[in-house]
Amino acid sequence: MSGSAAGRIGTVARKELTDMFRDRRTAMVTLLSAIAAGPIFLVLIFNLMANQADRARELRLPVAGRDNAPALAAFLERQEVTLTEAPADYEAQIKRGDLDVVLVVEPQFERDVAEGRQATVRLVFDRSRDRARPLIDQAESLLRAYNRLWGQQRLVLRGVASSVGNPMTVEDVDLATPQQSGALVLFLVAYYGLFASVMGGMAVSLDTTAGERERQSLEPLLMTPVRPAELVVGKWIAASAFDGLVVLLTLTGFYVTLTFAPLPPVGIPFLFGSREFVRFLIVLLPMVLLLPAVLLYIGSRARAYKEAQANVSVLLFVVSMLPVVQLFLQKKEPAWIALVPVSGQYSLLNVALRGEALPLLQLAQSYLVPLGLTFVALAAVARLFSRESVLVGK
Amino acid sequence: MIDVAGLTKSFGKAREVRAVADVSFTAPGGSITGLLGPNGAGKTTLLRMLATLVAPDGGSATIDGRDVVRDRYAVRERIGVLSDARGLYQRLTARENIRYYGGLHGLSGAALDARVDVLLGTLGLAAIADRRTQGFSQGEKMKVAIARALVHDPATILLDEPTNGLDIMSVRALRDQLRGLRGEGKCLLFSSHVMQEVAALCDRIVILAQGRVVAAGTAAELVTQAGTASLEDAFVRLIGSGEGLAA
Repeated sequence: MSGSAAGRIGTVARKELTDMFRDRRTAMVTLLSAIAAGPIFLVLIFNLMANQADRARELRLPVAGRDNAPALAAFLERQEVTLTEAPADYEAQIKRGDLDVVLVVEPQFERDVAEGRQATVRLVFDRSRDRARPLIDQAESLLRAYNRLWGQQRLVLRGVASSVGNPMTVEDVDLATPQQSGALVLFLVAYYGLFASVMGGMAVSLDTTAGERERQSLEPLLMTPVRPAELVVGKWIAASAFDGLVVLLTLTGFYVTLTFAPLPPVGIPFLFGSREFVRFLIVLLPMVLLLPAVLLYIGSRARAYKEAQANVSVLLFVVSMLPVVQLFLQKKEPAWIALVPVSGQYSLLNVALRGEALPLLQLAQSYLVPLGLTFVALAAVARLFSRESVLVGK
Repeated sequence: MIDVAGLTKSFGKAREVRAVADVSFTAPGGSITGLLGPNGAGKTTLLRMLATLVAPDGGSATIDGRDVVRDRYAVRERIGVLSDARGLYQRLTARENIRYYGGLHGLSGAALDARVDVLLGTLGLAAIADRRTQGFSQGEKMKVAIARALVHDPATILLDEPTNGLDIMSVRALRDQLRGLRGEGKCLLFSSHVMQEVAALCDRIVILAQGRVVAAGTAAELVTQAGTASLEDAFVRLIGSGEGLAA
């Protein structure tokens, strides 16, 4: 009645899955947050973007010293800018974030113009404030347009063609497809998908290793005919299945929200359809296999659940920082990035979100290292489970 | 049948802690052998070696002729162990806990169901079989742990301090269970630091102190050997100090 290795692995995996879902509170919190977080998060982002777009469309510009440059004021009003009187403490208000941008015209503006000197207007803002950025850009470009127009008129008065003063014109040709413009949203969706693959496996992987040791149920288990390797593989199958479910639910949340929810129009035909859904799953699969294996390793090295949780924060830090580093690395990514776990996946998720097909070579590379590491991590756990030291200091 | 010959085990970086030193004894089938010794005498380490969890540094041990190192998985199929650590899965029911171990021993389907029902019946667990073990009393948890260890009907049964933390009713019930198993021809090895426990139950007694066997035999033989009036005096005399009294 010895049974087979596959039978024992199946027994372990089934028991672990039952155990995971019996822990109602943890299972519900993990699964519900996976379903709900995506939609909530997208609605927030879209509203933010819609607000920003609205603000940019109807520019309200507070002006200090408007009477010093009536021609400029008239020009701005022709461009449908609503000019208001700036409060006296505008600098403090900008610092606090109550005002985004203020135009200041000095009293000597008209005298400088009349005497042929270059006149100065000042645009006061705080560029660290993200939501002010579109306004700042718009105000700047309007002022530049006015400057150019004024200069051209002066040249025309002197009988010089306007092209003499402006030998070159710059026309913007934006090659970004409409999907490409929502870079921030792209980042967040990809980031969230990756994050789901860590968070999904965390509680269950630690519970089944560190928790098993803490509850003193590991020792009797190791006196049954189950081999350490079978035990580890069974636990890993269960943890990966749970992790995969969390990733699936998270992506479903994104898909349903972006396909059916009445989101405010932000001018980005954002693509997360069934094609992107499938591509996301393909890209995230190696993470769903790798991260539970790493978590099992961390958990099996700890004597108690709490100790394991503390050690996991290192893994969380690495996984959450890699994409951020990539985002701020404003260069084209080197080819070897596909080999780096997490970074390779993040880069491919961005490809998928841009609506492009997944490059096969890069995809194969992004599977290579995670699969190897999965094997190494599982072998390490099996080794730990067959050592006597796993019993001491329980 | 358990056959132990010169078994030795040390711990520590330089192997400076001798937990078990040159231990030899035989535990035949159809009887209960008691492993009696004060705390720290090496009982748990000895049982862990027999249960194939810890590899000996020297000597050998066989269970029904199978070596605990070379044939460890064959040994595991033939032993049922109630170890020092006896944690249950609290989110699983008593029945599920027992079934899990049955599955690991290769049992399945109707055979497993039938076996689990028999164990639940004989151990008096039928009424709470489908409750989660979370709220179980010490005695109930112990019974589930025993059922789990016996699910594959092993010929050899190792029990490490099974009466720890049990009330007198549970202890009596446990004794009856163990006598019943002896009646079925099983080989039982029972460790305890409580002399009365061992005296009440065991056919043969092996006294361990500081990792060594200091005496072995029936209760009457031990009393004669020590030249004392009672087994308790014999125990104290044989372990060579008053340290048995602390236990």
